[in-house]
Amino acid sequence: MFADELKTLRRLGVRHVLLQVLNFVSVLASGLMIWKGLGLVTNTESPIVVVLSGSMEPAFYRGDLLFLTNPTDARYQTGDITVYKIPGADIPIVHRVLETHDFPPNNKGAVAASPLVQKQYLLTKGDNNAIDDIELYQGLEWLERKHIVGKVRGFLPYVGYVTIAMNDFPQLKYALLGGLGLLALIQRE
Amino acid sequence: MAPRTRKAAASSSQDYPHPQSDGSPPEVPPKDQTSAVVDVDALLAPVPGEEREEVKVNNASVTDMKHACDDALKRFLSRPDLFKQIHTHTDVRLALGWLSVLIAGATGLYGWKVPFEQSKPAVWAGVIAYVVLTIAQTLYSYFIEGDIVFVGKRKTFDKRIVTERITITSRPTPSTPQTPPGYALALTYVRSAAGGKTLLGKGRAQEERPFTAFFDERGVLDQDAFERWVGDVVGRVMDGKAQ
Repeated sequence: MFADELKTLRRLGVRHVLLQVLNFVSVLASGLMIWKGLGLVTNTESPIVVVLSGSMEPAFYRGDLLFLTNPTDARYQTGDITVYKIPGADIPIVHRVLETHDFPPNNKGAVAASPLVQKQYLLTKGDNNAIDDIELYQGLEWLERKHIVGKVRGFLPYVGYVTIAMNDFPQLKYALLGGLGLLALIQRE
Repeated sequence: MAPRTRKAAASSSQDYPHPQSDGSPPEVPPKDQTSAVVDVDALLAPVPGEEREEVKVNNASVTDMKHACDDALKRFLSRPDLFKQIHTHTDVRLALGWLSVLIAGATGLYGWKVPFEQSKPAVWAGVIAYVVLTIAQTLYSYFIEGDIVFVGKRKTFDKRIVTERITITSRPTPSTPQTPPGYALALTYVRSAAGGKTLLGKGRAQEERPFTAFFDERGVLDQDAFERWVGDVVGRVMDGKAQ
C-alpha cells in the first residue's frame, strides 16, 4: 500500500527519516506547549474542560467546552461557576458557588488589604441538582481556594463531544494519533 | 581579482570540451590545468544503461515533483568522485528541532508529576525555552537556509589542493495558462586553493525547465534526461573563469 513511500524513505537515508519523525513529534510538542502555556497564563492546571454530567442544565449541557481562569487577586463570589477537585476524587466537578465565608487573618488587630491573603470557604451546588454538594465533599465541610481549579469565563457548546468520544473509545484516540503520524511521516513540506 | 598565472591565461582561450550529444565522454586534451575540469565533465555525463529504481510521484503536485527533482539532484551530485554533500543546514535544523521537542517533553513530564503551584517556575522556563528555540528555527530556515537544497564540496589535487564548493537552490515556478509549472535552479560555485585563501574561479548560473521535460504522464521521472540537464548546468558553471 505504501510501497512507493517506503522505497523513497529507504533511498533518502537516516537524516531524512529523522526529519520526518521530527515533523510528527514537533506537532505533538507544540500542542503540549500551547496547553502548558495557556495553563500558566490563566493560572490553572486545566484551562479547558469538558462538561460530563447534566447537573448544570440549562446553563451547560454534557459535551460543552468550558474555558477557565483562576485569578489570584479576586475573591470568589456567590454566583460564580467554579470547577473544583476534591482530593481523592479524580473527576473535577462544575457547580455554582452558593455561599462564601471570608476569614480575614487577624494579625495583631490589622486586616490584610489584599483579598488574596484572606481565606475563603465555599459551598457549591449544581443548578440542576436538588441539594447542595456536601455529599460530594467526601467529609469536608467547606471547599477552600486550594481545591478550586478555576472559574468559568466562557464556553463552546457541543465541541466537547470529541473528547468524550475519545475517552469512551480509546481506539479512536490511537487511530487518530496513528493517522497523524502516518501523514507526518509521508508528507514533506 | 585572482592573480592570473601564465597557465591560466593560456588555457582560458581554449574551447573547453563538452559532452557529446549521445552522452559519450569527451575527448581528453593534453594534460594541463584543464584536465581537472575535463574529468568532471566526464563524470557529469550520466552513466548509460545503469539499473536504477524507478522514481514515481504524483505529477499533479508541484511540491512532490520538486522534491523528487531535488532528491535526484542530490543523488546525482553526491556520487563518489563528484561532490561530497555538506549537511550543515540539515544538521542545524535537526539539532534545534529535536532539542525543542526534548525540552517540551521534559516540561510536560515535570508538570505531570509535580503539583501545579509547585511546578510553575520550571514550566515557565520550559515554555519560554521552547518558544525561543522555535523562533530560532524559523529564522534560521527562512533567512539562512532559504531555498538551498544542496551544498557540496570537492577537493582535488592538481599540484596543490583545490577546493570547490557549490551551493544549489531550487524553486518551483508556478504555472500560467500558457506554460506548465517549472523547476528553476540557481547555482553558485567557488573554486579556491590554499585552504580558501586564493580564489581560482567563481561562477553563477540560473536555469529553468518545465516539469514536463522530465516527468511523463504516469509521473515517472526520466532520470537520465534530468541528470543530463543538471550535468550541463553544473559543468558550465564549473568551467567559469576566475574573475
